[in-house]
Amino acid sequence: METTKLPPSSPSSPTTSFSVPSAEKVDGFPRRSMRRARQRRSHSSSQFRYQSSQVELTPLPLLKDAPVAELHDLFCKKLQQCCVLFDFLDCVADLKGKEIKRAALNELVESVATSRGVLIEPLYPEAIKMISVNIFRTLPPSENPEFDPEEDEPTLEASWPHLQLVYEFFLRFLESPDFQPSMAKRYIDQKFVLQLLELFDSEDPREREYLKTILHRVYGKLLGLRAYIRKQINNIFLRFIYETEHFNGVAELLEILGSIINGFALPLKAEHKQFLVRVLIPLHTAKSLSIFHAQLAYCVVQFMEKDATVTEYIIRGLLKYWPKTCTQKEVMFLGEIEEILDVIEPSQFIRIQEPLFKQIAACISSPHFQVAERALYFWNNEYILSLIEENCQVILPLVFATLYRVSKEHWNQTIVSLIYNVLKTFMEMNSKLFDDLTASYKVEKQKEMKRERERADLWRGLEEYQERRMQMLTEAARNQRNLQERGERGDPLSPSSTQMAQSDQPEPKPSGASTGAGESAT
Amino acid sequence: MDAVRLMKELRVNYEQEVDFLPREAGLDLIVSAQQSGGQITARSRDVTVEDLWSLTSFFGYSTQSFVQAVSLLDRFLAMMRVQPKHLSCVSLSCLHLAARVTEEECDLTPADELIRIGQCRFTASDLGRMEKIVTEKLRFKSKAVTALTFLQLYHQITLTHATYRKETLSLEKLEAQLKACLCRIAFSKAKPSVLALALLRQEMKSLQSEDMLEISFHIQRHLKIPDAELQLWSEWVARRLSDYASPKCSKPNHRKLQWIVSRRTAQNLHSHRSVPELPTIPEGCWDESESEDSGEDVMSSGDESLCSSLGSDAEGPFFPLHLRRQYLAA
Repeated sequence: METTKLPPSSPSSPTTSFSVPSAEKVDGFPRRSMRRARQRRSHSSSQFRYQSSQVELTPLPLLKDAPVAELHDLFCKKLQQCCVLFDFLDCVADLKGKEIKRAALNELVESVATSRGVLIEPLYPEAIKMISVNIFRTLPPSENPEFDPEEDEPTLEASWPHLQLVYEFFLRFLESPDFQPSMAKRYIDQKFVLQLLELFDSEDPREREYLKTILHRVYGKLLGLRAYIRKQINNIFLRFIYETEHFNGVAELLEILGSIINGFALPLKAEHKQFLVRVLIPLHTAKSLSIFHAQLAYCVVQFMEKDATVTEYIIRGLLKYWPKTCTQKEVMFLGEIEEILDVIEPSQFIRIQEPLFKQIAACISSPHFQVAERALYFWNNEYILSLIEENCQVILPLVFATLYRVSKEHWNQTIVSLIYNVLKTFMEMNSKLFDDLTASYKVEKQKEMKRERERADLWRGLEEYQERRMQMLTEAARNQRNLQERGERGDPLSPSSTQMAQSDQPEPKPSGASTGAGESAT
Repeated sequence: MDAVRLMKELRVNYEQEVDFLPREAGLDLIVSAQQSGGQITARSRDVTVEDLWSLTSFFGYSTQSFVQAVSLLDRFLAMMRVQPKHLSCVSLSCLHLAARVTEEECDLTPADELIRIGQCRFTASDLGRMEKIVTEKLRFKSKAVTALTFLQLYHQITLTHATYRKETLSLEKLEAQLKACLCRIAFSKAKPSVLALALLRQEMKSLQSEDMLEISFHIQRHLKIPDAELQLWSEWVARRLSDYASPKCSKPNHRKLQWIVSRRTAQNLHSHRSVPELPTIPEGCWDESESEDSGEDVMSSGDESLCSSLGSDAEGPFFPLHLRRQYLAA
């Protein structure tokens, strides 16, 4: 097999497919190392739009030097200056302008963070406008079309030097003691929030971090937007689960939701319960679960702590979506189950113990050692142990046969040790139950072995019968040939040859010569 | 004819059983020992025997191996002053010895595995040396006469006299009960023939079979077992068995087992316990009235829809129409 030379990556044609020579493939898939970082293409960067008249920025006097009467006016002018966008993909373009804007942004941040009385009503629309202009953009498609959030390095935002300051400004603006939600809500409206949420798909984790905190503050302060925000987050998640399976900001949104769930009033509204069942639980089916599993599990557990009656929905939901082929996910699910069991109420535990421990038994018998280990480790948890002990009569029969069988069959020595620990724990909980189960297990085993033996005997009998029949047939055929030959030779002792020629099968005729086999044919 | 042979065998064993009784003085010493005294106590002996049972059960050894091991252990402990730290080594070597004379070669677990599963700290060569010591001191050659010997004989005798009751008098059940008794040092003082008979009678009483009890009287008379002795042990047995059979599950309270997991699993074990950074946002009851769009967006359906939601996820105004269709199609 000859290796073909790799074509150079061409920055001009974004649609050229990167052909990978077969030698570089493992199991038919190109190895990750082959995905080279491509040269940054300056395709129409969504961040930088050529403005019709490129404005020259002139440095303005410093805010701290401005007399009080002119402060707000200067503030406004600086905000307007910051509405000018710069191209960061070109490192050397317009350095002077970039620096002016950066300095201005810095000042604005300082001012909002430290001074009082800066935020007056007229500034609100200007501030929001500046923020909108800077941050709202269509996110460029990923540089790496096969971006795997778990493995690959994310593409960072080029204009971060300015963008970071804009976000910082926004955050300080929201957190300022002078901030008036009633004024802000005219400008931070549903359209604004929707665009904000779309930015969560950014590949740059720093941007998402800011967005997370900002949205958290917005949700906290602008009560009128809360229902809308929740609804839009639901839409994002549902689209993620059922349509695209791509969204970079799931973990951040879940973190925000965690703090919201934590604050739910009791009794829990139906809307929230439905969110749990229709969004949070199906979220577990995502392929990239490992990225946001910690946050997701936290949300789930918070729900349980708020209202114990949702426990059954959670557990049954998880069992329904239990991973069948991905063992990495299975280990995550088991971790989540342990966290859930840590806070479960005994009355709820009883409702789900049967299906749950059936699944746990299945995990124990998994050939993947990490899955089996994780499942067995539940017995090291004091609280879970106390739950098991209270319901020993139900649980032990469910796992007993699996434990015994796996202890004899499993390849991994650590697993065998853990199983011993579990069996010993059960033995000490209730000896009699354990002995009874051992006895019935042995009886079952004997029955099974007996059935196997009978089956083997049956087949052996059939094979022997087959052999005997073959023997008979060959003998009969031989005898027939002999008689034929004798008949042709004119042997006086043989019966007529025509009679013999007709019968192909040896029939048990009363005439002694024709039947070859001495014993009965059947 | 069979019955006669069995009775003869019974006699023979009865005469031999004295040789296999642990020294009473030695047993008393153990029973009276204090926890803090640095000696083997009744509790530690009982815990060790329970460990032996766990191992027997786990490796699929027969009850005979277990009973032989306990016999060796009790005799050794009654004869020698053993330090508590050597107790597990002694007990495991007894089990290994017993298994070697009882089990098939292919079913024998190697010493290394025995030590590993038993979570002991000594080596296989330590075990070997201890086995030699035990063999020497007890002049161990072959199987001892134990309560199990008698149980099996009694069982056979009962069956020859009352064949129609074959299924009800279960030898397995009797063996399990014997095991429960042997886990308490108090029963080590009993003569095996008496202990076995007490167990037998207990089971027969629970089956409420007068015929079988007749047979047990017959055995008692044959062996000339005094009434008082049998009565005493019957009481002990009854008490022990009622403890054993209680449906109450007890909290496992022995020394901590070692839970060793692989490195990868250990790394993942507590990675989720992260303190959330964002402060809680309390939900106000005035949220809905303040909301500009309280009408359409908020779910109004009550708990009924929640019950069916796991089966039919695509109902209700909450679920967007285009996704609902796709989900149903998927």
